[in-house]
Amino acid sequence: MIAKTRMDTETLARFEAEIDALRLEVLADIGESDARHIHRMRHIVQGLAIGGRSALMFGIGPISWVGGVIGLSLAKIIENMEVGHNVMHGQYDWMNDPSLHSQTYEWDIVCDGDHWRHSHNVEHHDHTNIIGKDHDFGYGMLRLSDQQRWKKFNLLQPLWYLLLALNFQWGVAVHDIKIGRFVKGRMKKAEFSERMRPFLRKAGRQLFKDYVLFPALAFWQWPRVLLGNLVANGIRNLWTNAIIFCGHFTGNVQTYTMKEVANETRGQWYLRQILGSGNLEGSRLFHLLTGQLSRQIEHHLFPDLPATRYAELAPRVRDICARYGVHYNTGGFWKQYASVLGRLFRYTLPTKRRLGAVQSA
Amino acid sequence: MTTSRLQPKDSHSPMRRFWRHPLLAPFNQPEAWNRLATAVNPVWSLTEPRARVMRVVDEAPGVKSLWLKPNARFGDFLPGQHVLLELEINGARHARCFSISNAPRNDGELRLTIKRKDNGLLSTAAHALRAGQVVRLSKAQGDFAPRATAGKLLLLGAGSGITPMMSVLDGLADEGSTRDVMLVQCSRSADDMIFADELLKLPARMPRLRVHPHATASQGRLNAKKIAELVPDWNERETLLCGPDGFMRIVESMYADAGLADRLQSESFGRRAAPVDPHASAHAVTCENAEQLFTVATGQSLLDGAEAAGLSPRFGCRRGICRTCQCRKRSGTVMNLLTGQISGQGDELIQLCISTPQSAVELAL
Repeated sequence: MIAKTRMDTETLARFEAEIDALRLEVLADIGESDARHIHRMRHIVQGLAIGGRSALMFGIGPISWVGGVIGLSLAKIIENMEVGHNVMHGQYDWMNDPSLHSQTYEWDIVCDGDHWRHSHNVEHHDHTNIIGKDHDFGYGMLRLSDQQRWKKFNLLQPLWYLLLALNFQWGVAVHDIKIGRFVKGRMKKAEFSERMRPFLRKAGRQLFKDYVLFPALAFWQWPRVLLGNLVANGIRNLWTNAIIFCGHFTGNVQTYTMKEVANETRGQWYLRQILGSGNLEGSRLFHLLTGQLSRQIEHHLFPDLPATRYAELAPRVRDICARYGVHYNTGGFWKQYASVLGRLFRYTLPTKRRLGAVQSA
Repeated sequence: MTTSRLQPKDSHSPMRRFWRHPLLAPFNQPEAWNRLATAVNPVWSLTEPRARVMRVVDEAPGVKSLWLKPNARFGDFLPGQHVLLELEINGARHARCFSISNAPRNDGELRLTIKRKDNGLLSTAAHALRAGQVVRLSKAQGDFAPRATAGKLLLLGAGSGITPMMSVLDGLADEGSTRDVMLVQCSRSADDMIFADELLKLPARMPRLRVHPHATASQGRLNAKKIAELVPDWNERETLLCGPDGFMRIVESMYADAGLADRLQSESFGRRAAPVDPHASAHAVTCENAEQLFTVATGQSLLDGAEAAGLSPRFGCRRGICRTCQCRKRSGTVMNLLTGQISGQGDELIQLCISTPQSAVELAL
């Protein structure tokens, strides 16, 4: 494992200023092309959804079924990753379009928008990879760092991971309810049911749409619609899970303790974002299908810049990292995913718990 | 600009309620249908008033009229009312209020007459519009019009302040009104006079209309004394006023001094922007919903200031990344503490945790 980069105060300040300058430069350039991109993505999502669902409902034979499943899977993947995730970060708030507003957007997934805005935008993006504060690290069920306590439960974590990957939207949906706290008696019943309510409402609507409304509209063709929707949701789950795990759980990704990040400066925050994330390399289409989360490092440095800008930012961030001796974690999908699985297996067995050193100023 | 403006009114009919039920999504999502409709014809919408630009007419130096044909969502309007015109400028939507400058016509067209301001984002973009383009509108709003149906009228306009007057006059002429109406219209010179030709023709339709053009370049600015000379019976007339801030202040104090403030109606958009002073130690902040007033020190974030005043706005990261504390600023100027950028004066979204006031600020909090 690569050691964490340490910088003296002065170097850190220069490092911070360089990253800040990148942000300002892109901010000043945001405009029509970004608006056109998100509009286009929304049209593609709508087209794919109408096409895919129609093929499932009115198509005949297995080929149209497969086509329908592919169309609907792509619609859900692009809607969740390229539109929903990015819009909810506020990347397009500057457009002043109420239908693309970060605080009111609702996406095509069982996770309630407000729950996501809290667990993702606040907890995960602010407290990235801080054990105990970033609940995305291990999703409360996986041990992926020796800074996490080992439990017998972790012996079977490859199996837990498989279940999580297949049902990823449900994992994300219950994430902000913090069921673990309720089970351990650290949350009152009233608060728990309060937190459950948005989840149940959203999940009910999604289940009704995919497994009642659309199958019913296909009359006698309902089984192929129901099955198609189930498979499409599943494909989306596996894909989003794989991409998101590659973003934070590859072998060289660093974790932090609360003690380490006490009195953190913005420069140190930037450093933690870089060292706590990993990029994926691939074609333009690949990046699009990941909602640009393949550039996780740039996304974590600038979560509210339009995601298509990460492509132009990536080489420049990489150059800054090279000059300051900061490890820039990147690789192809299969290499990075193998590294994630390696990490998953490594921590199934107990290792000595490492307590993080205080981050030097 | 809120979504509510674009949404239809709540209906209580059971059929409507059923159709709006969230379980019927995506079939009942107007956004999705609007996108499909727009693909066929950009002026079609189930919810949004939109209009096609029919023609663009030069009225005076730096002044153009847009003739707009709205869709059915726009509904009706009354003379003297205004609309929000929303344009997409470099990918972002911007809206400003403009008075309609004609009375309702059989062909449904309406006219917005817009003076181009230096550095005026929206007026510049409006002047660049061409016939055939589609713009977003609000429904007609406002109640700027004579309240009494009879009696003597005085219309005081200056510059582009003629626009609602023109609409009111056009409406009165259509009714065949025989009211005694006096229009005093200030402009820099005779060449700058908007609607000069139309105003010449109007008395033929309205026998008791008198139009007095006043050129400030040669005759000086109007003040209370000059108005009283021009219109000796001003204090007997119901008065409508529209123009630049300075002109309106003069007339308003004239009426207030005479105890006739209730006889005067004023119309203005975006006047009296709060003065920007980055060196002041603190600025006043008003909250629209909480009806609370507090002060925030220069350099202090609005979030810290609001909390110190006992308010508890939503917040998340407090470092400008999560947007939980994002809030609409109605007016005022703020500085972004991360980037040093100075905001505009008008309605826009800001993040409370990284914004510090540079003038008095009004928040939709």
